Amino acid sequence: MLWKLSLTGIKSRFKDYLVLFSGLTFASAIFYMFMTLATNPAFLKGSLSIAFQITQIVFGFGIALLSIITFVYIVYANSFLLSMRQKDYGMYMMLGARTSKIGRLIFTETLVVGLLATLLGTVLGVALTQGVSSILISQLGLQIHKFVGFYLPALLWTIAFFAILFFLAAFWNRHKLVKSNIINLLHEDQKPVKLHRNKLWKFIEALLGIALLGTGYWAMMHAVKLGTKTIPIAFFTIVFGSYFTFDSFFTAIIDLLRKNLAFKYRKLHSFTLGQLKFRLSDYTRILSTVSLLFALALGAITVGLNFNNMTEQAMESTYYDVVLYNHNKKVDNQLKKVSVKSTTNLEYKIIMEGKGKERQRILYIPESQIENNKIMYQHYSRKNDVSHYDTRRITLNDFKNKKSNVAAEGEYQLVSLTPYKDAQVKVVPQVQYNRIKATVNKIELLRVNDFRSNFNNIEKLQKLSVNQMISSPNATKDGINVNLSNSKSAQYRLVSSMTSGFEFMGFFLGLAFLAMLASTLMFKVLSGANSDKPRYQMLWKIGTRKSLLKSSIAKEIGILFALPAALGVVDVLFGLQLFKSILGMNTYDKLWIPFTIFGVLYVIYYFLTVVLYQHIVLQKED
Amino acid sequence: MSKVVQVQNITKTYGKKGEKQYQALKGVSFDVERGEFVGIMGASGSGKTTLLNILSTLDQPTTGNVYINGRDITGLNKNQMADFRGQEIGFIFQDFNLLENLTNRENIALPLSLQNVKASEINPKVDKIAKRLGIDHILNKYPAEISGGQKQRVAAARALVHEPAILYGDEPTGALDSKSATELLETMKGLNEKDRVSILMVTHDPYSASYASRILFIKDGKIGKEIKKDGKSREEFYQEIIAELGRR
Repeated sequence: MLWKLSLTGIKSRFKDYLVLFSGLTFASAIFYMFMTLATNPAFLKGSLSIAFQITQIVFGFGIALLSIITFVYIVYANSFLLSMRQKDYGMYMMLGARTSKIGRLIFTETLVVGLLATLLGTVLGVALTQGVSSILISQLGLQIHKFVGFYLPALLWTIAFFAILFFLAAFWNRHKLVKSNIINLLHEDQKPVKLHRNKLWKFIEALLGIALLGTGYWAMMHAVKLGTKTIPIAFFTIVFGSYFTFDSFFTAIIDLLRKNLAFKYRKLHSFTLGQLKFRLSDYTRILSTVSLLFALALGAITVGLNFNNMTEQAMESTYYDVVLYNHNKKVDNQLKKVSVKSTTNLEYKIIMEGKGKERQRILYIPESQIENNKIMYQHYSRKNDVSHYDTRRITLNDFKNKKSNVAAEGEYQLVSLTPYKDAQVKVVPQVQYNRIKATVNKIELLRVNDFRSNFNNIEKLQKLSVNQMISSPNATKDGINVNLSNSKSAQYRLVSSMTSGFEFMGFFLGLAFLAMLASTLMFKVLSGANSDKPRYQMLWKIGTRKSLLKSSIAKEIGILFALPAALGVVDVLFGLQLFKSILGMNTYDKLWIPFTIFGVLYVIYYFLTVVLYQHIVLQKED
Repeated sequence: MSKVVQVQNITKTYGKKGEKQYQALKGVSFDVERGEFVGIMGASGSGKTTLLNILSTLDQPTTGNVYINGRDITGLNKNQMADFRGQEIGFIFQDFNLLENLTNRENIALPLSLQNVKASEINPKVDKIAKRLGIDHILNKYPAEISGGQKQRVAAARALVHEPAILYGDEPTGALDSKSATELLETMKGLNEKDRVSILMVTHDPYSASYASRILFIKDGKIGKEIKKDGKSREEFYQEIIAELGRR
């Protein structure tokens, strides 16, 4: 009989259950996706052979974080479940149902809901992994192959992890129902919250919070100096700093607003402020957690997308896109498929000179070539921890002092353009050049219009030209030392295959974290909805327009969403300093892209929460 | 004397046409004069809650008209109804319905803020009504920190602060001990006699009802009998109510 009653209870609140159920399903789907990425050897081998170890560390860290978030998430989802059910169960107990029976009922209900959601979630996870990864791979132009959504170990891990969590949740719910009084179950919503706190302590807390946050930010900005100590220092200070800030600073702002009568006595402001004041003391922990997760997720996406910039940087390091050594039919045909922006010619002679051990291949370049042909190169430097390339031209002046750095760089740049990498470069006057008895060689240096978009054709062109050099019968004897790996195409392929993996991971990690943190916040807010219901009904009865109630709800939840987001954004802005100094990339470039993606998703979660909350709290008028 | 409430032959039917229908009100008509204290008595299921919901614009009658302060409230849209409640009606509920996350002062101020009264005018008005009801010393406390009787006074202050046309009481003494109940009823009587506040109180408690000047008995969705105090003492009137209740 009780089972039947319990099922009717679920039916009558089907929509709320649907939210809970889909939330749990989504959580397990995301967990599965991440486990697959982290443990699937196909993914790792396929794309990240070079950075394999780093990747494993990052993924290990990611899994640990995701487990913690999932745990927190389940705790809040579970409290939402309990808040929906405790009145029903309290009533059954009042009607004489035995405590032990009720205990078994809630235990089973939690476990069944959880396990069903997990099973469905893993199925969804397989499909999602397949779909999302292929979208990401194609959208971001990533170089990842052979990725399959289904991976058994990840599936088993996910199911085991969630089964344990729900088992714990079920025990907790049973414990909570069995131990509490019927009266408390029936009137949970009417218990007042005490709000008397020491004002001096609040003040110290506010100062402490800001000081700790400041220390954490300072540490991240001076990561190079602090070395391995940076992360523990930043982690400790920011965790506690966020907590203190939320516990004191924001309550102080609300108290300040409450003192401003003109503000407080407008429409429902006093009510919204009252709600927030009581909420904040209850929300301190979750808000600080959410702000940290927000920072981690946004940081992951930002850094992930920045790896894309690293490929740009790889392209910047070399000035000429393609170097053509000799022409043949294949090369000429392939050349037609490439849109050439400019061609620069370089002429030289190569001969062996010297005796015994000193005997060396010398590459002669006439001064006129340097003077007239405008040969360019990318000069590397490091300014303020950021790698930087600027375009320079090789001039005759560079070679005036033969022992100078400029001369050495000029010679190096020239020789690396030719297929004789081991030769020594000599820039000589035209008369001297003409006297050298050797064949005249020519190379063509191309700049193209469409390097990224037409990459495959460009790479093929470079390959054909290199192959032609290597396959000439006297290649070894002539000292031809050229292979594809020195070309811009090869560098681009190498870097992009590595960065694609990181980019993919950062993006994925970021989205997974975002989904988890936003739903955690959502469930925390929604689990309070049931106890808020009578308040909104009362406000409606005394003559508050429904539109006003709706806007009050939107404002209240908006502030609860905005506070951790604001702190999270500040965390990220300082946190990026860390990557700037470690990876030497300008992570602040194009910041708006990850911020926009993230913002849009977060706002969607916000609206979803508002709509669901309004649905629970507001009565339908007919 | 002008009429503050006019109820003309209202009916209320629940359930859609063609399905099983239930008629909660079967043609109810009565008036409340300005400055009158009217009690409505009836057993559970007699239709008194439905009647109060309609009178307070929380629900609409199926047929008939209701005029409050001369205005027909049956043709109003949702926003107009909300505004009307906020301006013309004051409520006291059985379970106080105070917002526990607001101080008592903020609770009382709520109807004024909803009507966009200037912030500078709000506190003096709250202070005035709080003094009248003897709760001026607990204004900065939260509802959880005061007694049930004080809570109901705060609720009364909130119901009256915006000077509504009529005060509705829905079993206002239901959750109070007998001493607090008597104090509240004496206060309501005082408000009615000295401050000329019109009161309509729904109750099934004959003691509470004996504070009214006229009582309407509602039974099975219709007004049955009506009795008046007419100069009798409260005790005599109480006996008359008991006798009337015993008759059914």
